[in-house]
Parts: sequence; C-alpha cells; structure tokens
Amino acid sequence: MTSLDSLEQDLPRLVSRALQRDKMAVGRLISVFEDDRKGSASVRSLALELLNAEPARRNGTILGLTGTPGSGKSSLLSRITVDLLKANSDLSIAVLAVDPSSQVSGGALLGDRTRMRFLPSENRLFFRSQASQTDLGGLGPSSFQVCRLLTKLFDCVMIETVGIGQSEADIRHLADRVYLVLQPLGGDEVQFLKAGIIEIPHAFILNKSDEPSALTSYHHLRSSMWLARPFESEDLPIFQTSALTGVGLEELEIEMLGQIRAPGATAIETREPYFFDRWVHQEFGKSGGRFLTQELGGAAAFVAQAGGYEQAQAGFGQVFG
Amino acid sequence: MTPPEPDDSSQADEHLIRDEQGNAVSDRPWIIRTYSGHSSPKASNELYRSNLAKGQTGLSIAFDLPTQCGYDSDDPIARPEIGKVGVPINSLDDMHILFDQIPIEQMNTSMTINSTAMWLLALYVGLARERGVEISELTGTTQNDLIKEYLARGTYIFPPEPSLRIIAEMYEFCLEEIPAWNASNICSYHLQEAAATPSQELAFALANAISLLDLLKERGRFTEEQFERSVGRISFFVNAGIRFVEEMCKMRAFGELWEEYTKDRFGVKNEKYRRFRYGVQVNSLGLTESQPENNAWRILIETLGVTLSRDARARAVQLPAWNEALSLPRPWDQQWSLRLQQILAYETDLLEYPDLFEGSIVVRSKVNDLKALAREEIEHILSMGGVIPAIESGYMKSALVRSMSERMSAINTGEQIVVGLNKWTDGIPSPLLGGEDGGIFKVDESSARDTIASLETTRSLRDPERVAAALEVLKEAARSGASMMEPSIECALARVTTGEWAGALREIFGEYRPATGVDGQKLSLNGERVELLRARIDLLSQQLGHRPRIVVGKPGLDGHSNGAEVIAVSARHVGFDVIYSGIRLSPDEIVQSAVEEDADVIGASVLSGSHVELAQQIMEKLNAYGARDRIAVVLGGIIPPHDFETLFGLGVKRVFTPSDYELIDIMESITEVIEANTEANTEAS
Repeated sequence: MTSLDSLEQDLPRLVSRALQRDKMAVGRLISVFEDDRKGSASVRSLALELLNAEPARRNGTILGLTGTPGSGKSSLLSRITVDLLKANSDLSIAVLAVDPSSQVSGGALLGDRTRMRFLPSENRLFFRSQASQTDLGGLGPSSFQVCRLLTKLFDCVMIETVGIGQSEADIRHLADRVYLVLQPLGGDEVQFLKAGIIEIPHAFILNKSDEPSALTSYHHLRSSMWLARPFESEDLPIFQTSALTGVGLEELEIEMLGQIRAPGATAIETREPYFFDRWVHQEFGKSGGRFLTQELGGAAAFVAQAGGYEQAQAGFGQVFG
Repeated sequence: MTPPEPDDSSQADEHLIRDEQGNAVSDRPWIIRTYSGHSSPKASNELYRSNLAKGQTGLSIAFDLPTQCGYDSDDPIARPEIGKVGVPINSLDDMHILFDQIPIEQMNTSMTINSTAMWLLALYVGLARERGVEISELTGTTQNDLIKEYLARGTYIFPPEPSLRIIAEMYEFCLEEIPAWNASNICSYHLQEAAATPSQELAFALANAISLLDLLKERGRFTEEQFERSVGRISFFVNAGIRFVEEMCKMRAFGELWEEYTKDRFGVKNEKYRRFRYGVQVNSLGLTESQPENNAWRILIETLGVTLSRDARARAVQLPAWNEALSLPRPWDQQWSLRLQQILAYETDLLEYPDLFEGSIVVRSKVNDLKALAREEIEHILSMGGVIPAIESGYMKSALVRSMSERMSAINTGEQIVVGLNKWTDGIPSPLLGGEDGGIFKVDESSARDTIASLETTRSLRDPERVAAALEVLKEAARSGASMMEPSIECALARVTTGEWAGALREIFGEYRPATGVDGQKLSLNGERVELLRARIDLLSQQLGHRPRIVVGKPGLDGHSNGAEVIAVSARHVGFDVIYSGIRLSPDEIVQSAVEEDADVIGASVLSGSHVELAQQIMEKLNAYGARDRIAVVLGGIIPPHDFETLFGLGVKRVFTPSDYELIDIMESITEVIEANTEANTEAS
C-alpha cells in the first residue's frame, strides 16, 4: 500500500480508469474508501469530487440481500448476476459481500467467492469481500463508504450480508430494496421471524424451493407476515427460487432488473445523514450522539452545514470533546 | 445364472496354493500392484509392460487430473497438468496405445478414476469390443467413489445426486455384463490421508457403502437375488498408517462390521457375499520430506498392518515410493517398493500360517472398542439421512478438518513424534538424493505436445455426425433417467473425447461446489508468539489503512484442499482478512480475485507438481494487471527444493513445503513478506 500523499497524486488516473471499470483501479479505490487512517478522508473527498465532475458517472441502484448462513444467498447471487449480465449487454453490477470478523483476532474469513461464478475477464461484474468487524454480521463500518464509490461506477450494487440481529436495520437505510433470503423453515427460523427481522425486507426470497418442505414454508411465511406486518397496504412479494435447479430465478431477475432500470434511484448523498449519525455513535458513543442531536441540530443539518460528509467528520471531531 | 468368480473376490479357498495331493500348503499372495502412469499413453504403456515383466501381477492406472476432472488435454485449465500425476486419456485411440501388447482379458486392471469412471469403463469396454475380447472376461476396478472426492480428494464434477446415480448405473450394468468388475471401490484411503481417526475411517467408509446399497435397493432395478450378488460386489480401498497394530485391528473391525451390517440391515443370506473385500495402498500422508529415506521403513511397517493377519489381509496391495513427499516417483523408486512386496510374499513364511491373532485378548478388546465407536458414528450419519446430507451439510468435512488440525497440533507440540521431522532432525544427508536428477522424477515436456497432437488427429479422423448423435443420446438418457452406460460406450466407439463426454453431462447435471471445511477448525495456534504476531499485524494494519488481506486458493485441477484450508483458518486466527477462493481455479481467476480484493498477498497451494507452470501463469497475469509490485505471491505444496530457485526467479516470495509444519512460522513469514512489500512500495512512491 502506498502512502496517502502519493495516492492523492495518483487519484485522477485511478478515477478515470475506474470509470471504465478497470479492475485494478476499482479495487484500489475501494481500499481508499475503506481506509481508516486519519488523513484518508481528504483523499475520499477528492476522489468523489473528481467522480462527480465526470458525466460518465452512474447513479447505481443498491439492492440488499440478507439472510441466515446457509440460506444460499451466495449461490443465488452468483446465478442472478451472471444471468442479468448475459441478458443485458449494457448492464454493470458490483457485488459487496460482507462477512463477520473474529472477535479474538480481528481477522475474518471471507469465503463467498467459492460460490461465485465469474465470467472471465468480464469487467461489467466486480466482486469485493468485506469484513463486518462485528461478531454478528450485518454491514461493516465502511460498507456505506464503499457504496458511495460503487454507485458511481456501476448500474447496480448488490450487498450481501449475514442477517442476524439489530444491525440489519442498517441495510434498509442503505439499499433501495432489501430482500430477505430464507430457506424452507425449521422451528428455529419461525422464532427468528417473530424476532423482528420480518419487518425489514421489501420482498422475500424462499430459496431451496426444490426441497420437499418448501410449500409448507411458503404458507407459513405468508401467514406469519400477516401477523408481523398487518399495516402493509399490499402483500409483500415472496419469490420461490432454487439456485440449484434455476426454478423461479427468472421472475426474481425481472423484478430486480425493474428496480435497476427504474428512474430515480435514491442518490447516495441523501443517505449521508443516517450513516453520519451511525458513525458518530460508533466513534464517540452515546454522548457523541446526544451532542449531535441536541447541540448541532442533528445529522442532516450538521452535514449540510459542514459542506459534506468528510467535512462533517472532520468538523465533529473539533467541536466535540 | 451364477457368474464366474473374479480372482480378487473369490472364496478364500481359491487363495490357497496346493501341493500335488491337493493339500493346502500356503496362501496365494495378494495381487501385487504399483500405482503408475505418467506423461502419455505411450510412455505409460512402456512402463506397464516393464512392470509386468518385473513380476507385478496387476495394473493400477493413475490418470492425469484433466482426465479425472473431465477436460480434454487442450483445454486451457488442463494444459499445465497434462501427464503430471498420471496418464492423459482423451479418447478410445489413447486406450489402444495404453494397452498395446497387453492382453486385457488376462489383466486385473484397477483404475483410479472417479467422476469420469463411467467414461473410462466405457472406453475399456470399447477397447475390448474393437479387439474382439468378450467383455464378460474383463476384471478390474473403477474407483468411482465420489463421497471421498467431496471430502478429501476433490476430483468431483457433478453434484452428489447425479454422481451417485452414475455409480448405481455402473453396478446395474456390470452385475450381468462384466460380473468380475468392481464398479466402485469404497475408499477409506483418502479419509485417512485427510487425517481421519481409525474410527472415523471405519464409520465414514461403511456409512458410504450402506448408503450406496440403500440407493441400489431404492432404485429397484435388481431382483432380490441380484441385489444379494451386488452386495458381494462392494469392495473397499483402504489405508494403512504407521500405528500398525491399531491398523491391523481396524481391518478386523472393518470385516466384522461389514459382515454384521450386510446381514442385519440387508439380510444377505449367502456368507460369501458378506465378505469384506479390500485392496490397500499404505499411507502417504505420514511420509516425510525431511530424511526421506526413513519412509522406506514406514512403508514396510505399514504394509505389515494389512498383511500380518490372515483374516483381515488385503486382496491387493500397492505401495507408495519412499520419495513421494518430494515429487512423483521414478520407475526405480517404484521398483524398490515392488521388491518389498515380493520379499514379504515370497521370501518370508507369512503365508504359511492361519490367522496369527485369533484368540488374542488384546486384539479382541481393541477391535471391540473401534467397532463401538464406529457404530455410534455410522448410526449418527444414517440418522441424518445417509452420506449425501452428511456431505451437503458439511458435517463430514468439518469433522475431518478438525481431525487434521488436531493431528497438526500434536505434531507441532511434539506430542506426536515423527522421526526426522520433529525429533532427531540432525542427520547425514541422504546419498539417495544425489545423482543427476536429484532423486526425483520430471515429466518430459514434449509429451504434452504429442498428447495434444494425437487428440487433434482423433478429432480430424472421426465421423462428426456419429459423434453428435452419440452425445445427443447420452444427454437424452441423462435427462430421462435411462441408463447412461450404453450411450457412453457408443460415445467411446464414435471417438467422443473425455472433455465432450463430461461437458455433455455438465450441461444436464451442473457442476458441484462443495461446502468447504474452513468452519469449525481447531488449531494449536496459541501462546506468546501468536499474541506478538497479532500485535505486529495490528501495527501493519495501521500502516496499510486496512487489515492485511490474503487471497488463499488452489490453482489448477488438484483438489487436495485441506492444506489450503488450514492456512486460511490460521491466517484469520492471527488477524488477517482472508479471502478463501476455493479449488480448481485458473491462475486468471486467482489473480482477478486478488486484484478485485486489493489483496496484499496471494497464497497458492499446489500439490500436483505443476507449481512452476502455475506460478509462471500467476506472475504473467499479475503483470498484465500491473499488480506485480503490489501483490506478493507465496506458494505451498509438494515442491522439490531444486525448484525453489526457479520459483524465486519468477518472483515468488516464499515457498512452503510439508517440512514447514509449524503454522506460526508460516504466518510470521507471510507477515514479513507483506511488511517488506509495504516498505518497498512506500519507498518507490
């Protein structure tokens, strides 16, 4: 890894190559957005400035896939991305797969690539693993940062997370649409649904529908949804798929393509206040959060006033403690 | 109709040598084989003929990895592997060359072939037909055990269900057509190589066999009488390790458990069909790279474990060579192992006695203990629904990976003594490693060109319409559930190639990606050095702006993934972010992963002997991305010392071999590589 100074000099070249989705350039720029060194914020700021000046930049749709380990998210994602890219020659997709880190060593085992099928030398598909740095999974501290970059380079960013616990609410704030991937349910999963995660997704994917218990699970899911989300105006979609046999994938792909092609994906900038608030809580704890709300008028106001996300980060450190 | 008895499955009586009055004077020796094959069909044919002339009594064919994984020799993923670990077979034309001047009707031919076993049997049948040999006269074995491929060996192609269907169809075909052919060999061999304990070895292999018989029964193609005979066709391929007393007891336990399960679960009435038949290759895992000459003694002792006890004696034995941990063996090395068998069988008095251990209280009690442990595990697997669910859920794999970690930690701590490796390591250099070839075998590079040239000739001379029609019939059978055996034979006769046969079935069945064993490992990576290394990695993370990232993967076709998995888990344990990208990757895929992940280092594991070619390709790809200075490369595997310089010359930063068994050493060394690279890059910029 190079020093931040030399990175800054390199940046214009990296940005223009990344816009052509050169893998090396995209890979290196992601690291800039994951970088937790003090001086890295200004490099990010500059990179975004360069990107925003480019007419070729995208405003990619973010799709979130979450679900328990073993529900087949990776296999599903693998087939969907390859199918979508084959059928749409103008489409580009980045996958961000988030896995939990070890609480003991801080290291992580990012194994999703083993299930991913790649089209050799296809630069319309990009895959990056990320360690969540929390024990339960969910988004990592820099997932939002990386999405700020990837949405400008790709038509679609698919985020895959291990979905357990409260951190899952984050994905609803990051993605334009969240899919919860389930496998035919056992007793434990029913408990898990009651526990609140059922409130998160926009749509459900019942994977492994080739298994015999799949139909029962479908009806089970329908009825528990009625209990858990009684105020929805219409039924939430449930896609029944099998990554193994390919059943049901076409419907899901049509739906996802519709999301990607729909005009007006939320600009990533509008998500800054939520993730700024989250960042403050992570870095400065509850008292930092209180200070932001009570003294600075909340995240949205403070980010706007500071003139941007990086500036707000730098500014907050100065005014708080 | 009663089928003729094959020579390696016959009643014990046929294994007696009688004097002129018909009195039994001693046992007939087991079938003596050497696992061999390399370079090209022509070179392998010469080797087989010379081995037969030296007194070998059966053939054991090693195929190269492209043939085992269903690729033609000119497929890009195949090229670095042509002829490396065995002979390449692309079509029936190659079979004619491989068996030139060898009377197949007199041969007992064992083929180490699995996911393409149906294809190789079809080729062998095709060869017999074109030679005018009755196929009912053929004897031999196709290994054809996919369960252990998923668990340990890695040359699977299709998912478990179609794989087991193929095995079942081969049993159904062979029972009447080639009655002395072992359609498959239930392998416990590779489970021990993957560090299975004796009770795991017993349990996993027997659960595998039971699940196969359950399937044959469920398919309902056999009458009761046929089913009983098919039970008699189940044979095993086992391993013999250095704890040879326990191994001998394990073999007795195997026989007894099989007898019990075939009787109680399957109701087999004829005692002959309940007999446990097995061939053996003694253990390669315990062979050391340091002081390799010691391996000769290990091989001898391990052989005793499967020959001493008459009641549990192997039907066929093949031995590794003393230098297998260094490279593929040379013909001389194999001859040395062959002589060991001949001395044991023909010079000693071993075969003159009944069972030596009958009535031993110690042996009885050990056998009972092993049986009890194994039974418990078998019942557990059967309660999960048999071996397929136990594979798909990762249960069996995780159990093995745990055993492997435990074995490695026992060696690390010195609790398990390995002479010359962790004890008495000082010694006089071995003169056996002298000589121009450095004591190791090298494949002649030009043979790969010849192989591809003859493949092209086959393609240009065949009838394309017959090929297309044969492949269509094969696919239709695969889709409809009809037997694929006859369609495969027609493919063979039509000169369909190995890659085309496997490709057609890939279209229908898909390719399998297994559960990895990276979960649930237990490592003995503790203590002060680990704490120090973690602190060092935290510091490095601050310099880098991220945790150091390593991409671990296996380029090429060899599927022994356990070593790579241990490295992946160790690296996480000391604080790396590890991207484990799995097996059977092209160098292109590994480099692409590393570039996308902006990795600091690539750790590639190669056991097939293709390390130089693969390292070359990885470096070329890194160059093409302009990533050569940013991403360091380290290699691990069975790599002979005299290749180190070549690899370092290519730009590889470190080479780890089986003698680097201390995980903490490896982790420190990789950390050092990243630190040095970081420094160099900072200075350069």
